[in-house]
Amino acid sequence: MKKKHSLTLSQKRTVNGYLFILPWLVGFAAFYIRSLFMTIQFSLSDLTVGVSGYSLSWVGLKNYLYAFTAHGSFKQILTSSVINMVVDVPLIIFFSLFMALMLNRKFRGRTLVRAIFFLPVILNAEAIVDAIETAAMMVATGVSSSSQEMAQSASGGIGIGYYIDLFGNLMISRDMLEYIVGAVNRITSIVSASGVQIVIFIAALQSIPSSMYEVAKIEGATGYETFWKVTFPMVMPHIITNIVYTVVDSFISSDVVTLAYNTAFSEFNYGLSSVFSLVSTVVTCAILVLVCGFISKKTFYYN
Amino acid sequence: MKKLRIFKSHRLNRSVAGNGLLFFLMGIFGVLMALPLVMIVNNALKPLDELFQYPPRLFVRNPTLDNFVDLFVAMNSSWVPFSRYLLNTVIITVGGTAGHVILASLAAYPLSKHRFKGKDTLFNLVVLSMMFSWTVTQIPNYMIISWLGINNTYLALILPACSYGMGLYLMKQFMDQLPNSLMESARLDGAGEFRVYMTIVMPNVKPAWLTLAIFQFQQMWGNTGAMFLRDEELKPLQFALQQIAAGGTARAGASAAVTFIIAAIPITFFLICQSNVLETMTTSGMKE
Repeated sequence: MKKKHSLTLSQKRTVNGYLFILPWLVGFAAFYIRSLFMTIQFSLSDLTVGVSGYSLSWVGLKNYLYAFTAHGSFKQILTSSVINMVVDVPLIIFFSLFMALMLNRKFRGRTLVRAIFFLPVILNAEAIVDAIETAAMMVATGVSSSSQEMAQSASGGIGIGYYIDLFGNLMISRDMLEYIVGAVNRITSIVSASGVQIVIFIAALQSIPSSMYEVAKIEGATGYETFWKVTFPMVMPHIITNIVYTVVDSFISSDVVTLAYNTAFSEFNYGLSSVFSLVSTVVTCAILVLVCGFISKKTFYYN
Repeated sequence: MKKLRIFKSHRLNRSVAGNGLLFFLMGIFGVLMALPLVMIVNNALKPLDELFQYPPRLFVRNPTLDNFVDLFVAMNSSWVPFSRYLLNTVIITVGGTAGHVILASLAAYPLSKHRFKGKDTLFNLVVLSMMFSWTVTQIPNYMIISWLGINNTYLALILPACSYGMGLYLMKQFMDQLPNSLMESARLDGAGEFRVYMTIVMPNVKPAWLTLAIFQFQQMWGNTGAMFLRDEELKPLQFALQQIAAGGTARAGASAAVTFIIAAIPITFFLICQSNVLETMTTSGMKE
């Protein structure tokens, strides 16, 4: 009889671990890893579509050079997308944490209110947006002109500029002020972009052991103290989760991706399009690594 | 002073005015967000003459179900009946959601709670893959799908959704917070790894996977599948909506009805899942 080959404990663990991951990994490798490598390959070559399929010819870094030195708007769009992302992410995180805290409290009709805050995520589906737009178009051809008139008439007199000057006189720095004004302008987009984040935060709040709150109560902590000493450290890991999600989400709908999409499907320049998406991926990853590295140092993990 | 505090401490330290302000703020945001839905519901119930009324009204005056009747009659006489589109969407959504939740949570367990070689590399790869937008990798994706021979089947939509990175990431983050001692005690009692996963880990991260299910359901539901599904009888509801909406004025009523159906189902799903999230008791029974 063959001697049974025995594994060490750590080897067993490894095998076990991979067994669990395997089903997911197969799909992941087939669909995502492969398309990643194909995109890299495309970015280094000229793709021409012929009758019998496509053919690649190696051109080295030509596409990259073109994107950075000759292309008219790539650098500009990339910078503005990154800036938008950097401005939006903290606002979305604060807003969704705040909303999750509110929605986690017990009150009547809580599920309904939660559902309302999740609505934008549902209504953002492409087809629904289309349908709403068509419905609105049919009735609103006259309305749009009148609302423009209203906007114009409102801009005279006490406009936003007046308030900017007012706050400027109150010794708030100009940059801070511009950030706040920008934030106010973005309210709709921020509110509608934070549906999933709110749900993630609610789940995070739900998984805080209630015994911790009991202890805090017994020790006589105020609500404020309880938040900073119990709630906040416990949801900290999910702040990172949400940052990752928000960055991914805002990146997917950013102008760079639109540019890459148009380059590929209306100009049929697949090589250049791959360069755009690769460069912006690298930039986003760099930002994520920086931010998450900074936050995870301060993060408290339960174990 | 101390004594006073003890007496008051069972209440939240917030004034009535503060509470009022918070609810006021929440009310404003809530109304802003609910508006499109109110519009969808009312439009679906409006008779045609009200749909085109100018100036438009938000609320319906003479509610009727004509639009739904219109929808079913109009669509049933067409090539593919409306119920077929609905069935397609349900198959794609349920398959993609269940598959993703199961595979992602299975994979997240060892990534979070085991130590083995290549773990960190794998996890970084997952995060990297999420940065890669679906719109941009359409060409490689299409090639992979047709290379696998699953073009023009439900699988073309379901399989990629199963192995998306986001769910794995979310599940891992939540599992990281489970106390290791819970799993150790189960192992000491002789539970195998799969048993630990099924009876200890999954019930404890119930809020996480319900959240993931909500999220994935919504993603799958909104899929038009225009890229991979060519046969008309395989196409999902969203595609039908686009077709009907493109019909313009003549189909306005039917289009409003479909929009209502498409929006109502994910919302119902969300409500069911959310009320289950509330019932979970997590990390209880720990004595340290």
